[in-house]
Amino acid sequence: MDTLLNEDEQLLTDQARAFLAKESSTALVREVEAANKDFDQGLWQKVAALGWLGMTLPEAYGGVPAPFSHLGLLFEELGRGIAPIPIHPTMVAALAIHANGSAQQAEAILPAVIKGDKILSWAYFEAGGDIDLSSINMSAAVGANSIVLSGKKLFVDGFKHADQCLVVCRSQPQSSGAEGISLVLVDTDSQGLSNTRLPTMAGDIQDELHFDKVEVPLDNVIGELHQAGAAAIVMFEQAVILNCAMMVGASHKAIEMTFDYAKEREAFGQPIGSFQAIQHMCANMVTWVDGATMLTHEALWKLAEGLPATREISVAKAFCNERCPAALREGNQIHAGIAQIKEYDLQLWYRRAAAWSMRMGTSIQHRRIVAREIGIVPEPSA
Amino acid sequence: MDFGYNEANERFRQEIKDFLTANVSREFRAEVREMQGKGMGPLTKALILKIGEKGWIGMSWPEEYGGRNADRIDQFIFEEELVRARVPLNIGNFIEQAPAIMAAGSEEQKKYFIPRLVRGEVTFALGYTEPSGGTDLASLRTRAIEDGDDYVINGQKTFTSGAESASHIYLMARTDQDTPKHDGISIFLVPIETPGITVRPLWTLAGGRTNEVFFDDVRIPKTAMLGEKNQGWYIGSKALNLGRAGAMRYYTYVSLFEETLYFARSNPLGQQLMDDETARDKIAELYCEAQVARLFTLRSLSMVRRGINPPYEISSEKVWGPEFLVKSTEVVSQILGPYNQLWEGSDLAPHRGAFPKRYVSAMVSTFGHGSTQVMRDAIARRGLGLPRGSI
Repeated sequence: MDTLLNEDEQLLTDQARAFLAKESSTALVREVEAANKDFDQGLWQKVAALGWLGMTLPEAYGGVPAPFSHLGLLFEELGRGIAPIPIHPTMVAALAIHANGSAQQAEAILPAVIKGDKILSWAYFEAGGDIDLSSINMSAAVGANSIVLSGKKLFVDGFKHADQCLVVCRSQPQSSGAEGISLVLVDTDSQGLSNTRLPTMAGDIQDELHFDKVEVPLDNVIGELHQAGAAAIVMFEQAVILNCAMMVGASHKAIEMTFDYAKEREAFGQPIGSFQAIQHMCANMVTWVDGATMLTHEALWKLAEGLPATREISVAKAFCNERCPAALREGNQIHAGIAQIKEYDLQLWYRRAAAWSMRMGTSIQHRRIVAREIGIVPEPSA
Repeated sequence: MDFGYNEANERFRQEIKDFLTANVSREFRAEVREMQGKGMGPLTKALILKIGEKGWIGMSWPEEYGGRNADRIDQFIFEEELVRARVPLNIGNFIEQAPAIMAAGSEEQKKYFIPRLVRGEVTFALGYTEPSGGTDLASLRTRAIEDGDDYVINGQKTFTSGAESASHIYLMARTDQDTPKHDGISIFLVPIETPGITVRPLWTLAGGRTNEVFFDDVRIPKTAMLGEKNQGWYIGSKALNLGRAGAMRYYTYVSLFEETLYFARSNPLGQQLMDDETARDKIAELYCEAQVARLFTLRSLSMVRRGINPPYEISSEKVWGPEFLVKSTEVVSQILGPYNQLWEGSDLAPHRGAFPKRYVSAMVSTFGHGSTQVMRDAIARRGLGLPRGSI
């Protein structure tokens, strides 16, 4: 028991922070956003060269063996640096392919991903934005050699530049819940697959995907056909906790900017940070973001240890979704007028952390999972 | 990062649990209820001594002072299980002053007090707050005047919890009138039986007791002073900070929630109320927030174990935990509705009316041992480096 970062973890954090402070400048973030570019190819290649796209993946594919917690800490720094690259969707799909795919599939995909030559995406959510597998209706008709996808996916991250997208679908039409679920890796230029762009508050772009009888070879099924419900849940949970890490990183940066501002900005002849009203807001901000951090770290540690973490992940997400944006709103209030001005940098973090808090399950949805996990949902009476 | 307990920790937790199962009897519980506010009954005294014999009180202290250099994690586990079993031993009164005595005490004081604290023979009541001020502690007025080899103390302390059963008072008194207020304070370790000390009860809303303590020409030897003259403020503020760490505090804040969870899962009324998804959402929200209380404590503990004196993290515990407790009493009351106002003695009162007692007593947590406002000042100034204002 030692909840603080160990030497390796601290080193990783320091190096990633220093790199991103230099390479993910606000000028770059603004440029990517203004051009609707989704991501910066130069930064992507640099990140690949550092081995980040292979973190936790096998050396045989060019990866860097590391515990899952290291990946989480890296995502914390990517959130702090609001790095304009599709690393979240790429890693979520890559981890699922590594965990569930055959050796041939992994060999065909992961080395290219790790080198930075292949971008991945994942498609889970459908209309309504529910997070439970029972909401998966995308149909997948299984033929002799292929599987045909029809339906819609929403809120897909990083699709535009992705080469392939890992789609969660229902391959047994009569099934429900976690039964009859398959993971299918779809080439993004497949016939019958089209997309509608969904610009977001974060300044990145999600997509709505339309599958009109998209035919995919059976070889592209990742994991067992019809039996991938559990794999889909793991993929979702990993996506959620990495999203929490990004929120936490971005929030730390934004509240630190606020504390600095409060020390410098003067009113009534003294720094506004000397007023108790402001000090108590700052004390709340650091307490909330620290709490979000601790919850996220505990979940990351459990995943690194291979322990069940469903409860911890949803606890972290439910808390981060509410408290991180709340801390940033206090930051806006302390900055006041300037917080709403585009050319002032604070808003870059605010909009992203806020948007991230709205993805991959609301607080209410995750507390539903918590309620189930802590045993307060009554058994349906017979 | 490592959020797990090792096998030795788990074995130790089981040892504590087994001990408590074997030693916390129905008769003991009845005595605790009977003796509320009247001091310690014989079974309670016996249990403290038994726990002391086990070497669990202050187990993380050095061997030379009666501890056994045990891992602080094990001490955390001990405290957590003790509070979870609702054994009303105020561990804080045993261990809170020990770090200060170890840091500032004379060899003689260390040798006398530490082993006795560990065995449960010495317990302190905290003589800080006065009628004229608590939060602005340094303005205290109780005076200790030198007279030969003695000091003579006059003044009054209030909210002196545990004075009815403590062996000593850990007293802050003014020993210099002419210096800035923080620099004229000393600490004395005063036997409660010293002539001139009068303890008067103050009864609280939940049926508990605190006290006011009067000092009329109380004469104590100079050797009763802890550390150097006029250094008491600095010795005391460090002890307060370390005293706020530990499972005892965290678990005190979340125990009501754990009881609520137990009630929601196993009591027919609780289960009925959990049919409402809105109520479940509220309980799940509290669960998330309780984890933050636990993790904040583990964070402070991790820092102290690494030899770091946490600059603000213990203050964060002391903001989050008490406000969580208050919020949980509110949430529980709005889920239980009319059942939550039924006091002890009502047949329909869940948990013998424990919930409404916690409802009316929860307020103490947000001002006892430093208000949450003072804690926020400390977080902002010591933790974040925000400047002290001129108004």
